[in-house]
Amino acid sequence: MTKRILIVEDQEDNRAIMRDVLSTAGYHLIEAPNGEDGVRLAQSERPDLILMDIQLPLVDGYEATRQIKRVDHLKSVPIIAVTSYALSGDEAKARAAGCDGYVAKPFSPRELLAKVREYLPDVATP
Amino acid sequence: MQAATALIDLVSRVGARAKAKLSPKPLGITSALERPRISKRFLAPLRGVMAQAAGALVALVSRVPARVHSKLLAAFLAIAVLLIMMGAVGLNVLSGMNERTEEFIKLRRKIEAYRQVQHDTTSQLYSVSAAFLSSDEQTLLSTLRQLNQFGYDVDRLEFVASDEAELLTRFRQEYDRFIQIVTHVVELIRAGNASEARQLQVAQAAPLADRLERLTNQLVNRAEADMLGSIEASKQAYVISQRIVVGFALGSIVLALMLGYAISSSLIGPVTDIESQLNKVAAGDFSKRVHVVNRDELGALARNVNRMCEELDRLYQQLDAASKHKSQFLANMSHELRTPLNAILGYAELMQDGLYGELPPKVSEVLQRVDRNGKHLLGLINAILDLSKIESGQLVLSVDNYSIRDIVQTVVSATESLAAAKNLPLKVEVSDDLPTGHGDERRISQVLLNLVGNAIKFADEGEVRITAKAIDGIFLVAVTDTGPGIPDSEQARIFEEFHQVDSSNTKREGGTGLGLAIAKRIVELHGGRIWVESEVGRGSTFKFELPVRSQQRAGAI
Repeated sequence: MTKRILIVEDQEDNRAIMRDVLSTAGYHLIEAPNGEDGVRLAQSERPDLILMDIQLPLVDGYEATRQIKRVDHLKSVPIIAVTSYALSGDEAKARAAGCDGYVAKPFSPRELLAKVREYLPDVATP
Repeated sequence: MQAATALIDLVSRVGARAKAKLSPKPLGITSALERPRISKRFLAPLRGVMAQAAGALVALVSRVPARVHSKLLAAFLAIAVLLIMMGAVGLNVLSGMNERTEEFIKLRRKIEAYRQVQHDTTSQLYSVSAAFLSSDEQTLLSTLRQLNQFGYDVDRLEFVASDEAELLTRFRQEYDRFIQIVTHVVELIRAGNASEARQLQVAQAAPLADRLERLTNQLVNRAEADMLGSIEASKQAYVISQRIVVGFALGSIVLALMLGYAISSSLIGPVTDIESQLNKVAAGDFSKRVHVVNRDELGALARNVNRMCEELDRLYQQLDAASKHKSQFLANMSHELRTPLNAILGYAELMQDGLYGELPPKVSEVLQRVDRNGKHLLGLINAILDLSKIESGQLVLSVDNYSIRDIVQTVVSATESLAAAKNLPLKVEVSDDLPTGHGDERRISQVLLNLVGNAIKFADEGEVRITAKAIDGIFLVAVTDTGPGIPDSEQARIFEEFHQVDSSNTKREGGTGLGLAIAKRIVELHGGRIWVESEVGRGSTFKFELPVRSQQRAGAI
């Protein structure tokens, strides 16, 4: 069965890059343009992995992560923080909010794919 | 306050010691134990009261709305007035003594005169009796003369003893009668009427003489009692005068001490407070205010110091806000710049990876340029962010254990492909017995990566050598290249921002011009130093020292 990834990201260009690299790699994608939609879609769609931007409109990535991790059946879903905050301590802050992994922006699509494969290794090649 | 308390303490201790010395050998254990307890019980409240009184006095003097020298002049004047009063009292006492002495002389003369009268009265009676016995004309005449002479003496008495007028009047009356009787007796004797003369003598002259004697005795006794009373009064007056003089002397001393203490405290206190306030300002704390109650020059000084602090505080807040603003602006800008870069670099990579199909070679080459320039721009953005964080003191070192060997290895892995591309051998000499370091591994790697990257960039032939050793608790890391070298005049300036030896290099090598500036700050944050040894045409050696155990240096710029 195809693994499903929820992308919570407000920048359409960045969503497009992720879409291109990840769908090419055989993942099914669900997209949310803000934190609120992200939390709602996570609950309704129950994805296998979430890529979470931190600077988001309405509800930021830290808060969205906390809300998702509070839901029992979503606790085990890995969340990878994608942030351009390169300030020291951001990774620690993301982990404190409940993120399982961390990718700094600007990310290399290759590295992003490698990170996703760490969590979802058995993806069917298209 | 403190001086007063110390003084009281000293006095109590000296007192206790003096008591201990004065007291005879302890008679029993109880007496030896009770002494200090008693003195403590008395001194503890006394000390509190005195300290309070001293504090109140100092506060009072402080609040007097007068200039400092007016206060000092007033204090000296008060003491001088007290001394003048003491002198006046002394003079008064002296003149009192003089009056008493005169009175003594008068009294003495009076007593002498009374004694004379007493003596004369007795001898008179005796000579009158003798004259009667002898019935000799010669003797009788001399007796009468003596009587008259005695009358003169009594007249003189009147002048001396005016206060005993009544007694003297009685004496004179009795005496006049006595003279009459004696004259009468003498006349009887002259007339040869001896028996009648004897009768008159026995019946009237003798009792009268007795009364005269008693009266003179009374006068003498009275005068002597006066004398004694006067001596007693004089003694008492002397004691009172003595007390007044001692009182004034003690008063002067106490007043001098109190005023001296109060005025000096009211000056020293504010000066100390202002000094400590200025120390705080010098240490960068503008938030405190000095509280001085004085309404003199010191009060004005304190007000000015407070105004200065307020102004400094305001400026500091502004500066701080501006600095935070700047840092926030840079952080935001860095974020905003990275977001589009993410798309540029991401798409360039995806295209190069052939995600969108095979590319013509020319397009592939163009994409490489896009990728390289995009990464350069990213490097610049990162460097500016690093620098701004260091300058605003926001860069916090993540201090942990690290291994210099691992850091060198990481840097070599990251740069060996670059070196290989230029055909440069990368040589590494790391001592075997390096201790475990304590510092920010990622930042130290950043420094070494910058130095090795530069070395590879500038050396076109020869080699790049990395050495690391530890001497006396300090790591010494050196990166040597066989590049063009750096002129002496440039060696210090290359650690400044955006300074490069030859700006044409920037274009060729793609440096940001910020790497060394950041490296210098990171090394200094660790409490170390960085420098370069170079000779034009012979290459350069960049060296940095780090304490094996580093702690974040506060406010390193």
